[in-house]
Amino acid sequence: MTQGAGSEAMMLQVGGLRVSYGGRRAGRDPQGPILSGVSFALGRGEVTALLGESGSGKSTIARALTGLLPPSARIEGGLLRLGEEEAVDLAGDAPPWDRLRGRRIGMLFQDAQLALNPLMTIRAQFEESLRAHRLAGRKEAAAEASRLLRMLGFSEPGQVLHSYPFELSGGMCQRVCLALALCLRPDVLIADEPTSALDADSQRHVLELLRRLQGELGLTVLFITHDLAAAQAISDRVIVLREGRIVEDGAVRTVMARPSHAYTRALLAARASLEAPAPRQGAAPDPAAPLLEVRQLRKSYARGGEVLRGIDLTVHRGEIVGILGRSGCGKSTLARCIVALEAPDGGQALLEGRALASLPRRELSRRVQLIFQNARASLNPGRTALQLVTGPLRDHRMGGRRERAAVARALLDDVGLTGELQVRRPPQLSTGQCQRIAIARALALQPELLICDEAVSALDMRVQAQIVELLLRLQAERGFAMLMISHDERIARRLCDTVAVMERGRFVERASGGPSPERHAAGAAAGSSAAHL
Amino acid sequence: MTQSDGATGPLAGPAAAPRRIRIRAGRHAGLIGGCILLGLLALLIFGASFITPYDPLEQRIAERLQPPGLEHPLGTDRFGRDVLARTLHGGQYTLIASAAALGGALGIGLLIGLGAGMMHGTWIDALLMRIIDVLMSFPFMVLALVVAALLGTSLLHLLLAVVAVWWVAFARLARSVALQARQETSYAAARVLGASRIALLVKELLPRALGPVLILATFELGSLILSIAALSFLGLGAQPPAPEWGSMLADGRAHMLQAPHILAGPALFIVLTVLAFNLIGEGLRDRLDPYEQPGWQ
Amino acid sequence: MLKTTLLRLLEALATLLCATLLLFLLIRIAPGDPVQILLGRPGEAGVTDTAMQERQAAELRERLGLEDPVAVQYGRWMERLLRLDLGESIHTGRSVGAELAERLPATAALALAALAIQLALGLGLGIASALRAGGMSDQLIRIVCVVLASTPAFVLGLGLLLVFAVRLGMYEISSAATLARLWLPAATLGLIGAPQLIRVVRANLLSEFGQVYIVAARARGLGRGRLALHALRNSLASIVTVAALSLAALISGAVVIESLFAWPGVGKYALDSIMLKDYPVIQGYALVMIALMIGLHLAVELVYALLDPRIRRQGRRIRHDAV
Repeated sequence: MTQGAGSEAMMLQVGGLRVSYGGRRAGRDPQGPILSGVSFALGRGEVTALLGESGSGKSTIARALTGLLPPSARIEGGLLRLGEEEAVDLAGDAPPWDRLRGRRIGMLFQDAQLALNPLMTIRAQFEESLRAHRLAGRKEAAAEASRLLRMLGFSEPGQVLHSYPFELSGGMCQRVCLALALCLRPDVLIADEPTSALDADSQRHVLELLRRLQGELGLTVLFITHDLAAAQAISDRVIVLREGRIVEDGAVRTVMARPSHAYTRALLAARASLEAPAPRQGAAPDPAAPLLEVRQLRKSYARGGEVLRGIDLTVHRGEIVGILGRSGCGKSTLARCIVALEAPDGGQALLEGRALASLPRRELSRRVQLIFQNARASLNPGRTALQLVTGPLRDHRMGGRRERAAVARALLDDVGLTGELQVRRPPQLSTGQCQRIAIARALALQPELLICDEAVSALDMRVQAQIVELLLRLQAERGFAMLMISHDERIARRLCDTVAVMERGRFVERASGGPSPERHAAGAAAGSSAAHL
Repeated sequence: MTQSDGATGPLAGPAAAPRRIRIRAGRHAGLIGGCILLGLLALLIFGASFITPYDPLEQRIAERLQPPGLEHPLGTDRFGRDVLARTLHGGQYTLIASAAALGGALGIGLLIGLGAGMMHGTWIDALLMRIIDVLMSFPFMVLALVVAALLGTSLLHLLLAVVAVWWVAFARLARSVALQARQETSYAAARVLGASRIALLVKELLPRALGPVLILATFELGSLILSIAALSFLGLGAQPPAPEWGSMLADGRAHMLQAPHILAGPALFIVLTVLAFNLIGEGLRDRLDPYEQPGWQ
Repeated sequence: MLKTTLLRLLEALATLLCATLLLFLLIRIAPGDPVQILLGRPGEAGVTDTAMQERQAAELRERLGLEDPVAVQYGRWMERLLRLDLGESIHTGRSVGAELAERLPATAALALAALAIQLALGLGLGIASALRAGGMSDQLIRIVCVVLASTPAFVLGLGLLLVFAVRLGMYEISSAATLARLWLPAATLGLIGAPQLIRVVRANLLSEFGQVYIVAARARGLGRGRLALHALRNSLASIVTVAALSLAALISGAVVIESLFAWPGVGKYALDSIMLKDYPVIQGYALVMIALMIGLHLAVELVYALLDPRIRRQGRRIRHDAV
């Protein structure tokens, strides 16, 4: 309830927004409220960040304010007031969306490519929007669209206008979406995670554009994000949402410097821990024992062309190697080639001198394991955590039934999934807990090499920090080698002994030639594991 | 049966509730209604000997073309045979024959489809797809005509023709499910964990394929019954004097004007049986892939 | 695009070749001597003079070339097919091609009329149903659909004949192929096939309505009508597919309705030929139908490519953010 002093300065006010999801689908219980009484206000011409983890209800707010909630959601109460106008009852029968949507409140979506009609040219989509609101005829529409696109940094708007969305990159699509929203000259722009699906460069570009245009046009922006850094970079004010309630609301500087709520402090602490250098635990890698050697690996697809263009990589026993690269650079394909999910076209991968291709699947899977980005999708939803971990043990005929259960229990305990959680199934567990199961399952076979393909990128920051700590501890205790694949510089640089930067199917930079970067050298010099603590 | 399945329970707010709940109850109503209908029909059909004392083949010329009455609830046909007895016994014929044909087609289709999906990218898959393409170009009706011309008209030949082309539908579906599953992370995860091919087939692919294939099978069973009836109506399926619904209709057609009741029994039973399967199919489909309906506001 | 088209064309030809081979083998492998099938088995009704029959059989064998190896027979058959020669009817002695060509227009008229009815019903009711998903009219349409889909075409046809021809006298019972006689069989086939199309239109529209681009278009303030158009345009590919398959089913499956309404099309001709055991006719009929099916499948794939810029404009891509 921080409507603040001068309500004149407020462009948009929300009062007492309550939303719940009904249990419409078979077998699903009605859920509790997703938003329980949310009130906030957006200052005229300000950027307000709405910060929250997945499931906090932040997208529900965006959808509720534009009348775009799915039918399973129900608004139980809430008022929306634009400027000095009469408040709209969101729970009422027919809020005047025709008047508000587009014209007064514009919206950006996370995946811009999907937010554009795939079968219409960009020009047609501009024309349609402008003509629907009677803002322009055919010709003026094209001119207006060109003008906006130029403002958004396109040097050849004509070419863009005649393209279909699939011919543009993700970042370009998001800029087109921004232009589409702006062409209707809305007072308020709600941006729902507009940069989360983009790679770092496009992310920065879109954020800069958004900030600049907002200033030029005096736009009021609600910037919804899970990314602390993005919120900090763009906003004047920040609202922190947790489990459908606002826990913090204030100027960005104040909140970042002196968070008042414990949850905000936890978020900031998680970020700090992800950014702080991690002391190397466990034994130093053995530079004389190359475990995995990849030589001139090549792979191309009929669609998408050459994905791997001659990769050389060595991972020693006990070493943590990072591969850093944007989405689409080929790093996941590399991981899939190493675990023989894909067959490379050229070059070879050797495991202790033996070609991977010649290893039987069973032996390979015992020695090399992979953890996927989407933990939930990697688990069979019908099995309990315990069954998921015992499954591979049984397939590999390791131990008797009792032993296997004991091993699985101990492993799950070790990854922090204890007690009753062990008999739950993935749909009843959080994404972080699913990733813990996936780690336990991979380690059940006691691999010598663990590949983590973006294993934490889909997680919220607090959980990310926890999983990273867990992986580091397990690595130190068990001494397996790790190949950390990530797009996140912080994670790669902080955790790994060596980091290789990958771009368009090639390594373009290596942080260190051998497995001994500076912090490691320090550890090795001290000569004992005590130095790492 | 609007409030029968307990779905109306949630202590919802008053405003938006009714619309959603009606949809849900409606969906279940279809599935439940279909199951009840099928159960009743099966009871009638397989309990035919207890329901009517008449032999479906016994001719009593003296009692020909009688209108429905106490003696013959659905009347008699031109040979004085009891229409009810013929209709019910005919149902056994139809149900057993189509279930057998479907079982054959389903088994072959699942095996070949999943196998091809697993072997995707190899010559085996390419070959199977070619075969499927060729068989797809044989319209069922045309094949039935050719078989009838070559082998002579009989229900058995008809069923053989059915199995020969119908497995393709299941194979295509199973293959597409398998191909989709192969793209999924959990399939990749199972491979990385060292699962054998058979384990992959049984644990990863089969469970995924069963749902969609079951739905398809339910609908296909309905259309199979329609096809058998149609071909028998043309004289290419079951042969007289066998009491088959389609051939009974063909038989009664000549007396459509004096004795329309001869047509009523078999026609009603065909429609109800197929309706039961279609209702079950739709109900299962809505349950297994409940798409989010759009929220127009 | 051109390359894809040529590739598809080649594939279709290969399928057609395989299909002819299969059809040929089917007829050759079938138990029973084709000559015997044609002339009737000794001892069967109508076959009394065995000596005469044997002479006839030998003559027929000679004429049909059944004494040659199977491969030679297939080659000869293919060679005649390439000259569009489907052989002669045993019953009338006329060319099968001519006989079929005479009757094909009647079948095509019936199928197209039925398809037009199906499309009108499918689009109209499908769109209405999707826009009011969950409402009363949607439920009603669904119920009517499921009942219609459960009704055999010949039962509906019999019912319609009973009402319009017998009770109302609005329909002439004869065997002429005139416009005045077209509407009832067309209506029967149209009604029977409509539920499938309605369901496809409804399901596709609903799934499109759930897509982000529709939500985004709503967020830009576009009205329902526009959104329905977007959704329809984006599901056109699947609707065209179903319509084409429906057309194929109408042409190849019109046997029942043609026979019921005494409509002089190819289906009825084929059925009569079965009764007469005129097997060159059956073979020719099957071949034409198969070719038609393959042609329709090919057409669908090509239309698909035309409808979707992602296929049409493959490879054109502006990747660099600098543009």
